[in-house]
Amino acid sequence: MMNNEKHIASAFDRDLEAVQAMIMKMGGLVEDALLESSRALEERDVELAQRVRSADSAIDALEMQVNTEAARLIAIRAPTASDLRTVLTVMKIASGLERCGDHAKNLAKRTLVLSDMAPVGASAGSIRRLAKSVQLMLKDALDAYIRRDVAMAQEVRQRDQEIDQMYNALFREFLTHMMEDPRSISACMHLHFIAKNIERVGDHATGIAEQVIYLVTGDVPDEARPKLDTVSLPGAEG
Amino acid sequence: MNDMRLLERAVDTQVNKITARKVQVYYGQNHALKDVDVDILDKTVTAFIGPSGCGKSTFLRCLNRMNDTIAVCRVEGRIDLEGEDIYDPRVDPVQLRAKVGMVFQKPNPFPKSIYDNVAYGPKIHGLARKKADLDEIVESSLRKAALWNEVKDRLDAPGTGLSGGQQQRLCIARAIATSPEVLLMDEPCSALDPIATAQVEELIDELRSQFSVVIVTHSMQQAARVSQRTAFFHLGSLVEYGETGQIFTNPKDPRTESYITGRIG
Repeated sequence: MMNNEKHIASAFDRDLEAVQAMIMKMGGLVEDALLESSRALEERDVELAQRVRSADSAIDALEMQVNTEAARLIAIRAPTASDLRTVLTVMKIASGLERCGDHAKNLAKRTLVLSDMAPVGASAGSIRRLAKSVQLMLKDALDAYIRRDVAMAQEVRQRDQEIDQMYNALFREFLTHMMEDPRSISACMHLHFIAKNIERVGDHATGIAEQVIYLVTGDVPDEARPKLDTVSLPGAEG
Repeated sequence: MNDMRLLERAVDTQVNKITARKVQVYYGQNHALKDVDVDILDKTVTAFIGPSGCGKSTFLRCLNRMNDTIAVCRVEGRIDLEGEDIYDPRVDPVQLRAKVGMVFQKPNPFPKSIYDNVAYGPKIHGLARKKADLDEIVESSLRKAALWNEVKDRLDAPGTGLSGGQQQRLCIARAIATSPEVLLMDEPCSALDPIATAQVEELIDELRSQFSVVIVTHSMQQAARVSQRTAFFHLGSLVEYGETGQIFTNPKDPRTESYITGRIG
């Protein structure tokens, strides 16, 4: 049950808006970090990778700010119902976005190492496409949050399957490369971690979409989310 | 979500103490309470919340027929206490009020000694045959009201000489001295400071093991703190009634949401 009416205490509305604006700002920074780091990987741009690495501190600082603001809101306003759910979801989303920022930073770090190694086929391009898909998923999850759009959140949740499929394809590609040419193992290991990290960002986007559903309906979606990540247990296949 | 409730917040019993069906209250031409259906559980604190004039105090007063004292007031529908219609003409309202005690907004001790304040009810209802019995009732009531240690050396002092919080606990002791089954509280803490409020709330939580407690409060936080069930009244109707945690995290009715989140509803 959501409510679009204004509070009698208008400062309460301003506080809630401010803390949600911080989330949106965080989301924007994380999307940039993801796009830029995957571009740095494909274009072997060491400087850009360095910039992504150092930009992560701004995301961390915003998460701290969200938590401080949320604690203050709870102490001062004693939020209930949808207000309470707003504060709770804001904290969870901030922590998810902070993890996404770390994944992008890790991508940038590995890019620095990979820039000294021979490229592995066209995998950097595939990873960039994966990053682009995940970035769009994250953007839509955050848009669904700000619009309180459950249908959109459901749709984002479904899209995680596509991300899993893309990741599976990359996993097999790296495996093939490594078997063909053991000299590529080191690079492929880094590339695989990168792919896995981006896939994890997709999971966080799904988590944000689930927070939207909780925020609007008060219930956490219970049916198990579709999973196609069959390579996480390679021995268990077939 | 209910499975996740903290143990102490869980409602201990599902036994109905009071069952109200299609209750209507009219003050002259004014239809003050419309079609109220509610089941109040035994050994549970039930909070009534809602804006001023929503009918919550009116409904509370129906439960021990305090509305009988208002000439223009007419009550329709049925209210059962343990399956017995309390508006049955054979029911003596005075006897009913011994079973359904009440504590008011402003502490109102009698201008008598602390002892006599508590002993008054048991005396008029003939609950004690000997002075020793009466002494025991007074002591146990004051203990239950968490006041005994503060007043045991001055039981002959006037009740009106106590502090506000102590006076309210004295009124609670007075209300429970007749061993009621239900305790009604109409904003029992609105005239108390935060410390005295916390003491009365702690007391309410303890009383729950013995009585069914119904509390009307304007403080949403107080309703959230002390009750296991919350009923939201608006414009004379019972809008929503449910487990307190659910009402405060995920109310089903938009009017409840507007009210508890402090929006114009």
